[in-house]
Amino acid sequence: MQKRRIPKWTAVLLALAMLAALLCGCSGSDGTESVRLMVWSPSEDQSKDSGEWLQTCCERFAELHPEWDITFVYGVADEATAAGTVSQDAEASADVFMFANDTITTLTDAGALVKFGGIYADEIRATNSEALVDSLTLDGELYGVPFTTNTWYMYYDKSVFSEEDVKSLDAMLEKGVVSFPFTNSWYLPAFYLGNGCTLFGDGTQEELGVDFGGENAVEVTNYLVDLYSNPNFVVDADGSGIAGLRDGSINAMFTGSWDSASIQEILGDNMGVAALPTYTLNGEEKQMYAYAGSKAIGVNTESEYMEQAVALAVYLGSAEAQALHYELRNVVPCNTELLEDESIMSDPVVMAQNDTFDRTSILQPFVSQMSNCWTPVENMGKSIRNGDTTHDNAEAQTQAMNDAMNSDGIS
Amino acid sequence: MKHKSAKAARLRNNIIVHTVLAILAFVWVFPVLWVIMTSFRGEKGSYISTFFPETYTLDNYIKLFTDTTVLNFPKMFMNTLIIAIFSCLLSAFYVLSAAYCLSRMKFRMRKPYMNMAMVLGLFPGFMSMVAVYFILKAVGLSEGSLIRVALILCYSGGAALGFQISKGFFDTIPYSIDEAALIDGCTRWQIFTRITLPLSKPIVIYTVLTAFIGPWVDFIFAKVICRANADQYTVAIGLWRMLEKEYIDNWYTSFAAGAVLISIPIAILFLKLQKYYVDGMTGAVKG
Repeated sequence: MQKRRIPKWTAVLLALAMLAALLCGCSGSDGTESVRLMVWSPSEDQSKDSGEWLQTCCERFAELHPEWDITFVYGVADEATAAGTVSQDAEASADVFMFANDTITTLTDAGALVKFGGIYADEIRATNSEALVDSLTLDGELYGVPFTTNTWYMYYDKSVFSEEDVKSLDAMLEKGVVSFPFTNSWYLPAFYLGNGCTLFGDGTQEELGVDFGGENAVEVTNYLVDLYSNPNFVVDADGSGIAGLRDGSINAMFTGSWDSASIQEILGDNMGVAALPTYTLNGEEKQMYAYAGSKAIGVNTESEYMEQAVALAVYLGSAEAQALHYELRNVVPCNTELLEDESIMSDPVVMAQNDTFDRTSILQPFVSQMSNCWTPVENMGKSIRNGDTTHDNAEAQTQAMNDAMNSDGIS
Repeated sequence: MKHKSAKAARLRNNIIVHTVLAILAFVWVFPVLWVIMTSFRGEKGSYISTFFPETYTLDNYIKLFTDTTVLNFPKMFMNTLIIAIFSCLLSAFYVLSAAYCLSRMKFRMRKPYMNMAMVLGLFPGFMSMVAVYFILKAVGLSEGSLIRVALILCYSGGAALGFQISKGFFDTIPYSIDEAALIDGCTRWQIFTRITLPLSKPIVIYTVLTAFIGPWVDFIFAKVICRANADQYTVAIGLWRMLEKEYIDNWYTSFAAGAVLISIPIAILFLKLQKYYVDGMTGAVKG
């Protein structure tokens, strides 16, 4: 062999390298492995005022795993913007972070999101509804641990509307003033989806395109023109809905869990929460459908401590962590065990959010063509508000919207 | 008769001119006034149906400084102040040095440098944003409190390219003063610090002012470099966060209060140094 040819200094170098490895403490003598995990969450999860959910959970996780000596580093990135920050530079990003499922393609395009498999995937599938798991599945792979659903529904004043009234938008409009984010394309499609319009087939079939045209869509546009001219209907834009609720000029509005604390403060015991109502189109009851998604915990592919990071992500999405999240911050849980818990299910916001997710929503498609679908719908809402779309040109305007949604061009 | 009508015509012109000016002044001052009114507004939320607030309160300011667990405004304010002070000192030094060299020394790269600066100045600064981020990361300035250093470097590093106005000012100082000083035994550095700078107070002040304002109004560099390090946020990021959908209802009036507060250090500097500022822009030398 060529043993002799290896110069002496390599042995010294090797010895030094081993010494360095020892000094680094990559494996301590007592068998615990030191691990450094960076975790990002919205700042409320780390704030003292709301009970430091993240810190508490991470410490509990560390207690559950005495074999690891974990140092946690916390950073602030909310679910909506985390994807942008992580994909900017995955290497310098958190090992574990939270993201909204509509940003999943941003993360997978950057190759920054770990696929969950094996026992972890089984556990996630076992404790969450199928729709929820679907919201984080791309090409058959599961990319996150869901911890809450993300959608919008209806808040109303119980002293104005009865529980029977809130099932139908038209019944509500007869009794009180309803505000709807008419010019916001996260909300407006609810009417179109209610009358058989579709987005990318079942939401994943990009090649099928958008079907927001045709006779059924024109009917909806005509309905919206009438709805806008209804004196009891108010457009909610720039926070006017919640302001109207505050001064009493509005009795019902559509928004999500982020406004529930403010609305609770305004309406007190009169706060009612419900899934989306139906609307009456040519004498027929049509159900409105919201876009729904989920918020999930993801793991960075660049993580040095993959095993620990994945375990932490699964723990942060577990029933125990979700229960604490609900207790401290009213984050609506989605774990199927917790949803059988009566103390949680008696909360009207939890009920309405889950009812909406299960019954009156569609999974917001995250195919890349979806990015063409926002502006045309927003413009439709605005043109009805401005009086540019009327009964006379409803058909042409609807067709134009459909064309724009199916086109890659900027229009 | 004729005399009277001329007087009437002048009066009429004055009325028209002053009306137009009054309208323009109102249009210009109105948004500022509105932000100040909003900052004292008692009602919550981002939308109000009345023009004037119905109740007035100081709570928005108090909230800004006491409710620090979610959005720590005092910390952001201090971060920005520190960054602004250091980057204004650094970039004032860079700009004035570069301007002095280009105005007084004749060297071979002078013309090419000025051309290059001109061309580079045509590109918006944020084009280099991603590259700047990765360079700072490679140097190890993208984490923890070193982010402040990174931001100071960002705001001051490119300053030497913006020498044109200062150079124009230095050019108006007679070269014979420099020559007299050289004969008396001054070094270049002494000429710069003892003669040129004292003669150029207006432009020094102008440079300091513009450099100080930079960090308060910059958003993108701070956003790209701070990333998830909330304790390093500058006010621009903080104010932007207050308008996100989770915060806007509770924080909108405090947002206005924050906007008023950050204008205070800038306004104080500006008022104190105003008379020099005007001189600096007109390029006059009293020598």
